[in-house]
Amino acid sequence: MTFETGSAGVKRRAFLKVLGATGAASTLVGCDTDGIQHLIPYVVSPDQTVPGVSNYYASTCRECAAACGILVETRDGRAIKVEGNPAHPVNKGALCGRGQAALQGLYNPDRFRSPMMREGTALKATTWERAMAAFTQKLGEAKARGDAAKAVFLNQHEIGSFPAFLDQWLAAYGMPAHYSVDAEADLPSIAAHKQVYGVAWPMFDFGKAALVVSFGADFLDHWGMSVPQQLSWADARARADKAPRFVYVGARRSLTGLNADEWIAAKPGSEAQVVAFLRGATSATAAAAAAGVPEAQLTRLAAGLKAAKPSLLLAGGFGAMATELCVAVAELNKSLGNVGVTVRPAEGATGFDRVAGAADLRDLADRMKAGGVPMIMVRGANPAYAMPKASGFAEAFAKVPFKVSFSSYPDETTELCDLVLPDHHPLEQWGDADATAAMVSLQQPAMEPVFETRATSDVLIAAAQADAASAARYPQKDYRSWLVSRFPGGAAAFGKALAKGVVAGKPALAGPAGRSGAAARAPAAGGSGDFTLVVFPSPVLGDGRGANKPWLQELPDPVSKVCWQSWIEIHPLTARRMGVQGGDHLTVTTAAGSVTAPAWPYLGVREDVVAVALGQGHTSYGRYARGVGVNALDAIGAGEDRSGSLVLSGLKCTVGRAAGHSDLVTTEGSARQHGRGIAQAVAAADVGKLEKVSLREEPMEAKAGEAAPAGEHAAARGVTPLVGPFGGENRVAGNPDTRFGKGLRSPVAADAQGQLADLQSKDKGMYAADHPLGMAKRRWAMTIDLARCTGCSACVTACYAENNIPTVGAPWQGRTLNPMGGYDDRPGANILKGREMAWLRLERYFEGGEAGEADFEARFVPMMCQHCGNAPCEPVCPVYATYHAPDGLNVQVYNRCVGTRYCSNNCPYKVRYFNWFGFGEPDRRQYAFPEPLNWQLNPDVTVRGKGVMEKCTFCVQRIREAEHRAALDHKPLEGDSFTVACAQACPSRAITFGDAADDSWSVAKLAADPRGYHVLEELNTYSAVVYLRKVNHPGAGQATAAAGEH
Amino acid sequence: MATMAEPVGPMRPNIASADIQVPAIKDFEQVDREIGGTLSPTKAWFMGLGVAMTCLGIGIAAWTFQIYAGLGNAGYAPPVMWGVYIITFVFWVGIGHAGTLISAILYLFRAGFRTTIYRAAEAMTVFAVMTAGLFPIIHIGRPWKFFWLIPYPNWRLLWSNFKSPLVWDVFAISTYLTISTTFLYIGLIPDIAVIRDREKNPTRRFIYSILSLGWKNTDREWRHFTRAYLFLAAFSTPLVLSVHSVVSFDFAMALTPGWHATIFPPYFVAGAIFSGFAMVWTIIIPLRKWWRLEHYVTLNHLDATAKTVLFTSMVVGCAYLVEFWVAWYSGVKPEQEYFWNRVFGQWWWAAWIMLICNTILPLSLFSQKLRRNTAWLFILSIFINLGMWFERFVIVVPSLSHEFEPWQWTSYTPSWIDVSLLIGSFGWFFMWFLLFIKQLPIMAIIEVKEIIPPRRAAAPAHGGHH
Repeated sequence: MTFETGSAGVKRRAFLKVLGATGAASTLVGCDTDGIQHLIPYVVSPDQTVPGVSNYYASTCRECAAACGILVETRDGRAIKVEGNPAHPVNKGALCGRGQAALQGLYNPDRFRSPMMREGTALKATTWERAMAAFTQKLGEAKARGDAAKAVFLNQHEIGSFPAFLDQWLAAYGMPAHYSVDAEADLPSIAAHKQVYGVAWPMFDFGKAALVVSFGADFLDHWGMSVPQQLSWADARARADKAPRFVYVGARRSLTGLNADEWIAAKPGSEAQVVAFLRGATSATAAAAAAGVPEAQLTRLAAGLKAAKPSLLLAGGFGAMATELCVAVAELNKSLGNVGVTVRPAEGATGFDRVAGAADLRDLADRMKAGGVPMIMVRGANPAYAMPKASGFAEAFAKVPFKVSFSSYPDETTELCDLVLPDHHPLEQWGDADATAAMVSLQQPAMEPVFETRATSDVLIAAAQADAASAARYPQKDYRSWLVSRFPGGAAAFGKALAKGVVAGKPALAGPAGRSGAAARAPAAGGSGDFTLVVFPSPVLGDGRGANKPWLQELPDPVSKVCWQSWIEIHPLTARRMGVQGGDHLTVTTAAGSVTAPAWPYLGVREDVVAVALGQGHTSYGRYARGVGVNALDAIGAGEDRSGSLVLSGLKCTVGRAAGHSDLVTTEGSARQHGRGIAQAVAAADVGKLEKVSLREEPMEAKAGEAAPAGEHAAARGVTPLVGPFGGENRVAGNPDTRFGKGLRSPVAADAQGQLADLQSKDKGMYAADHPLGMAKRRWAMTIDLARCTGCSACVTACYAENNIPTVGAPWQGRTLNPMGGYDDRPGANILKGREMAWLRLERYFEGGEAGEADFEARFVPMMCQHCGNAPCEPVCPVYATYHAPDGLNVQVYNRCVGTRYCSNNCPYKVRYFNWFGFGEPDRRQYAFPEPLNWQLNPDVTVRGKGVMEKCTFCVQRIREAEHRAALDHKPLEGDSFTVACAQACPSRAITFGDAADDSWSVAKLAADPRGYHVLEELNTYSAVVYLRKVNHPGAGQATAAAGEH
Repeated sequence: MATMAEPVGPMRPNIASADIQVPAIKDFEQVDREIGGTLSPTKAWFMGLGVAMTCLGIGIAAWTFQIYAGLGNAGYAPPVMWGVYIITFVFWVGIGHAGTLISAILYLFRAGFRTTIYRAAEAMTVFAVMTAGLFPIIHIGRPWKFFWLIPYPNWRLLWSNFKSPLVWDVFAISTYLTISTTFLYIGLIPDIAVIRDREKNPTRRFIYSILSLGWKNTDREWRHFTRAYLFLAAFSTPLVLSVHSVVSFDFAMALTPGWHATIFPPYFVAGAIFSGFAMVWTIIIPLRKWWRLEHYVTLNHLDATAKTVLFTSMVVGCAYLVEFWVAWYSGVKPEQEYFWNRVFGQWWWAAWIMLICNTILPLSLFSQKLRRNTAWLFILSIFINLGMWFERFVIVVPSLSHEFEPWQWTSYTPSWIDVSLLIGSFGWFFMWFLLFIKQLPIMAIIEVKEIIPPRRAAAPAHGGHH
């Protein structure tokens, strides 16, 4: 690390003086960020701000190109939570894990505190005056020398007015238009969409389709706009038996692939043959031979496509012929009549217009190598990391005489620069985005900047104003004024629009035409080996930009469940043949290079394929990213497909055992359910046969008369009570005498929820039935629809953000290994000991495929505290640290806990987590919130100390806030008036929270769904979480019309 | 009738345990001299104490570090939330059982073989319970709050949860410690008087005078003493059964597979007696040799204890089998899979250490020759101690690592901190024991005198005959 940041540390928290979304636009007047008054304690309390009450600012998420709308919750001037903006047409209130983690970019402890200037070999902190002087001087020199036309500006791709603003600014200096770089853009799909549909990203309507076929388009992982696609997909699949069947064609089952009903494990690059067959251009035999799959699968797919009207075909991936494949699939969509029905170009998103590809960057690298670039400016993008070594980008970049970075983080590219003018985080700056053609999504600062950073847009304006020639073009004092001055309707309309965050119309400036793109150069031929390498962007870390955020490092990959580590996916049969166990090191060698990482045997890759995720292996980029895992690009050569996208998959490679073994940092215990019925499923054809009258809803009085166990009870009505492989004979029926009471109340707990809770009784203890908050009348409960859940894990990160959950996997958070003080400093050392603190975990179970066959199923189960009515954890606690609240919550009192951990032993769901170290104590080695990450902590939630238990609280702070607000307004708490963090974020709307005892909440209806079941019901825990069975559609080799599940 | 027969050869008829005599002890003076002689510190004793205190120091250092740095330095791997500390807790509670069994129950049953070993066993009990009592505190996350488990009046009106077996533990352990300490002390009073009378050092004499409560050896005192002793023996007897039953409730009351079993109380009590006798051997066999007191703890005594060990070993072995049968018979899959995993899966090595040490090796005690072979008994006692520690390991760890929720299955390896505290527990125990044996008689002087036949007691002292 060659940086030296200023010793000034973090500024005191300061009150922001930006516009609030809380209603009034009147605060618009006087909105500058100069002359900040330190606010706590207030001398004059700013309007609308009540200490301890949150303000929400509508803004736009910049974590990927999709530009979802967000609401930033701020408390006392600090952003503490990012949630989806329900008014935003793109994400409709949902938000993915990466979006949630924006806060950890804002409060990243490795951000630059101030501008940096190179002195010798190191970057040293400097002042903005000196940095700006150096910047303007170099700009002037370039202009004077007359080589400004050769200068280059690389900008992290974003949509809205900024790209056009930037190009105008560059033009003023005689510089060419900027490169809009996005290393994770699906350029082949974008090129094909443009060619066939006429837009970069059409709207895909899964709900209308009867059959969805994806050729490597991972629309739930990262492909395109993951949140809106996931919303549409989940809505489609939630229609149970009428939902579209989904066939995935590709060499590796991604998260999207795991959501498919059938996997056609085509060889990498052979998808085009399958498409050719579907178009009638080749025979099934030839296509099956080329793809290495059974012919029957293909003929069935063709028959299915013929029968299913309409259907939806998607294609993606990063093969050498990816663009051709995507075009062919788009054409097939067209010929099947899907365009305008399931593929709607008119409602398309604009997020992916004008992206520059790897071909452009490689071309630039060649120019830089030749000395043709006198000055380069980089904002956001990190090509020194995201371009393969073989392209020589980093070396060429280092040769440029003057390099400016606007990055706020010490990433690999910035490390090479001479001057760093750190940009504001997107949550600190103004902007706009045209997420779709007809609307503008506004971006506003949610708080005063954390550090001495400046918005690049403002820096550019300031630089232009310092230059006599261009000063006249920029009469506005900053970018916000510039935006407002161009906003239709001016300041008043702008202020009004800010409150909602989105407005119909066009952005201030239409986007530039975009780069024509350098000619793509096909990957060098050659390379040999028995295996084919597939490299894919991580759904969590993206192209690597998420790697410096501990929430994302700690979030297990949705497929492998590995975190804080790189892994190589290899088929279990191949692994067995090679004598490789999980964790044994493998070296994958291609013509371009090699990577070595631990093996993870995975059923979802072909036997002749190995797969590695992008995103890890940073040599810089901060304490959480550096030295974790390997960069898969090291095995990738410099070659592009027709669209200019880097070719990531399809390279021939050899795979060999390397010395060493690293235990996989995984949260997975067993990937199999062993008949325990944790994740249950029902065949689509049997959904209608499920019992309509839920056993769980029988009134308590009826129990005396009926003594038949649940199974017999149902059988008497001629209905199979529990369909699915684990619902039947392996399940021990609960005691028939102890059914749920009305409103999911437990019949056995001797408290306010149970049969002994006589609401008329005088002996009501602390909790009167007529308590103003009405606690005793409620039963907080949750339903989780497994037919909707895709396993994306956004809920997990949302839970971390809401509940101050510490991340524990950083290399310095491990335990001591010996008395001499040696520490276990492997990344994820604590997670190797199972000590992750995720209150909500996403379990991923496999069904089938025991012999290594491709026909296996994945089931995802979000698992958190089940808030049992008859909770096993409660009686065993010797000090009442966990007890039952009258509204059905299982409550954990941290201050009372002495840490016997008996509650965890007795919890059948294993959802209790222990503070093994002082994760919340700043003077500890294992401190999880180094300044200023601690600014994010939710003030409503305790930061737990060493030695106490914790677990999901059903966001009790939100419950109490809602109750208190209702009580203050003298109104009853209305149904669905608030929800918990995981449900709020869930991009598939699988989680529903509410009061099961009150019919005005949707959860009360959903809990009675015939698909509902309780996990480990036979233990009579009377849990408050009702899972709705996953709906299985016919898989490989099953008649699509017939019932039955494999 | 007491058997007066002198040893007649390597094979001898089994002697009823009530009839065991000490023919080599001729008179009271010899008893006073020989047992009193053990109280003089020797170089070896100082070395032993040094080793024990070093071990204790290791444990204290490890605990201090753990309190400061966090329990995460121990080997816990959630959901294995209980580990070496709870195993060691149950281990020492178990050790603590033989003492009261020998001193109280065998007293009530007039089992003669207890006479010369019961004091050592009783002292062992007190120190073992003192050791055991530390471990729940070492184990908890916030040891400085351990007193919250005790129901004491406080202005916050907070009370402990009487539904929790851990609160029962608090009562069981503290009651047991109180009663066994009292019982040990009451039994010691006449012996302390003997030492007081022999003591030359005025300070020590003064202390012994106080401790002996002014014992004057009157008939009245003897009458009260024997009544009190009998009463306390009767009072302690149910505790022998109840304490380890309560400890077993820590497991049996949970719904965890492998724990949730009604057989646990008798199984734990049998195991406790079994391990306690083994620990008595571990202690008494070297002591009788070093102090040349083989004529006090004779082979007949050891033979009788060996029969008890054999019996309890078979009870424990039977319990192991019943556990399997119940798992099979219950039809509960998680339970069945857990037992399979325990013996043939992930934890096979621990389970087989347990089975071999606790059920197979003790079968050798069917051989009278081995029952009378002190070297073998000593080796076997070490194996049984090991096996019983592993029995608790097999109960605690495999259950938690293989519960209902397959996603959370895991493994467990103790860390250096766990091992240090285990070593420290032995250091703590042996420190107290070593200090005890040089201050107070390790064999009950008065009870030995009681069994010396009057004929020999009346004879003039010869002395020196061993």
